[in-house]
Amino acid sequence: MNTPHFKEVQFTNGYEFTEGTGYTLPEYPFVRPPELVHNKTLRHAVVIVGGGITGLTLACALANLGIKAVLLDEDNTVGVKGASSRGICYTQKSLEIFHKLGIFDRIANKGIQWSVGRTFAGDDEVYNFDLKQQSNFSLSEQPAFINIQQFYIEGYLVESIQALGHVDLRWQSRVKAFKQNKDFATLSVETPEGAYDIQADHVIDASGSHTPFHAWTGVTMESKKGDDRWCIADVRFDTRPPTERHTWIEAPFNENRAVWQHLMADDVWRIDYQMEPNADAAYISREDVVRERLERQFGKNVKVDIVWVGPYAYKSQCLNTLRMGRVFFMGDTAKIVNPFGARGGNTGVADADNLAWKLAAVLRGHADETLLESYNDERLEAAQENVKVTRRTARFLRPADGIERAFRNATISLAKQYPFARSLVNTGRMAVANTYRGSRICGDNGGVSVQNVKIQWRPGKTGALNDLLQWADGRLLLLVFGEQTKASLKRLQELSLSGLAVRCVQVLTQGDHAQAREHVWDKQGRLQSACAAVPAGGWALIRPDGYLADTGKAINGELVGAVATSLGL
Amino acid sequence: MKTELNLQDADTFYEQLLNAHEGLNAQASEQLNMRLILLLANQVGDAAVLRDCIESAKN
Repeated sequence: MNTPHFKEVQFTNGYEFTEGTGYTLPEYPFVRPPELVHNKTLRHAVVIVGGGITGLTLACALANLGIKAVLLDEDNTVGVKGASSRGICYTQKSLEIFHKLGIFDRIANKGIQWSVGRTFAGDDEVYNFDLKQQSNFSLSEQPAFINIQQFYIEGYLVESIQALGHVDLRWQSRVKAFKQNKDFATLSVETPEGAYDIQADHVIDASGSHTPFHAWTGVTMESKKGDDRWCIADVRFDTRPPTERHTWIEAPFNENRAVWQHLMADDVWRIDYQMEPNADAAYISREDVVRERLERQFGKNVKVDIVWVGPYAYKSQCLNTLRMGRVFFMGDTAKIVNPFGARGGNTGVADADNLAWKLAAVLRGHADETLLESYNDERLEAAQENVKVTRRTARFLRPADGIERAFRNATISLAKQYPFARSLVNTGRMAVANTYRGSRICGDNGGVSVQNVKIQWRPGKTGALNDLLQWADGRLLLLVFGEQTKASLKRLQELSLSGLAVRCVQVLTQGDHAQAREHVWDKQGRLQSACAAVPAGGWALIRPDGYLADTGKAINGELVGAVATSLGL
Repeated sequence: MKTELNLQDADTFYEQLLNAHEGLNAQASEQLNMRLILLLANQVGDAAVLRDCIESAKN
């Protein structure tokens, strides 16, 4: 038996440019910051390190709430220079967040919507799914998934931040040193026009998997790496494969190893090939080797333009805490997942949306500082879940030789015969909005994401839940379903006048009469069903990140308690 | 997890199990066992029972 030979390799979960023409990316100018102009160290409430999809989402979410922040990025562009293609698949929850940030339409116009996935083993199709047939995606105004190159989203975020203001985007600014005390952190920044120090009340490390902040803060983590190797080819064809997600567990044209096939924007296809364990990165990504591989899959007659090629190995890693003093970790600095199921970038976006409203609430004096602790409760739970789920996928796709491979063979053979075994075939479990079970600020019915449901302002004028969240402007959104008694209305009025950061909307259905100026119509009961099916007369408290804080059956003291809990009060 | 007899016909089941393996080499026998484990697990379904069975089989 051929035992895998383990050798030390350089681990990366990123893509390094090797061959191909790549894309032309935007370049942003370096602007002398006030610290250099006035030769003075300034204190900022929020400093974000890293302008990838996570850091930019946080910056944009803060800008959207009118919160000032500084973002430091060592590069002067989006994507990674030369290697301009990273994440490709964005979930409904991420798309809902991007809708809130005003860039969803651009993503939808540029990207590719897909809903059909097929999985093959050898020449047989093992199973297929159509997400459009799955009711759990149907309540939202956003589709189940859109595929688009990550740098497009990053570019749209940059433009959105520039339009909103409030956030100072500082390019070509590399953090070289860091220290913190009880009251503030100090970062030493290096730029083309000199070095300077910057002080921060809150530092958000979104600088990616090679972050120096792990060492600087002494945060501990748990880490695993394997011998699985892949090679990506981003290509264009003169023929058009179907707009479907195709995955081969065992591809006859790839020596019975796995292959992924996905469409992105600009008619570019992402083809991921699983390589031999411990394969040599330079060899597998050489252009002639890549071309030969593509020919085996698509035939000699298909003309292929290689846009970009990158070999990769991966590891998975999860911090034991997402906060060290004044530093918050998010995206790939919080955890690194095995690259399956689109669980990397999408969870970075969710990290950012989770912390943004909490920072805003604390900085505006709406919430207690302890609210920030709930970021760790919620996003560490999500990180651990995503690491666990993607490790299971990796174990299916690269089973240990011997008994693990034998079990996989048995599973695949059964899956070809019987529906039940198809659920054991694991080519990646697509990312979802993670549920928060252990959060200090969620009630028993809370901790779940509410989809961006369509509502009616008045007959003929429609909107969506996101419009209500935007109107609430970083405050909690209290939805009260159906007609209320006089006593309940009085209590709601008192709550509105209490000074707590909450805005109230009455949600009406067929036959109801409006009792408040702020009311919307939910005639099909979609919003009610998205809010854990709260009964008429009851309430749902929704946070600015679209998560349910809690629900209740009556307007009473429990509601006031839920509002206070959600704000860490 | 049941530890008292639940099989309707224990001797017949045991005989069928042995017969199924007759004439198979080690690898084919292993595949048969694995397919059988997965088929039976799906009949059980209950996560706690399956966990207890795996733990009990180890000891």
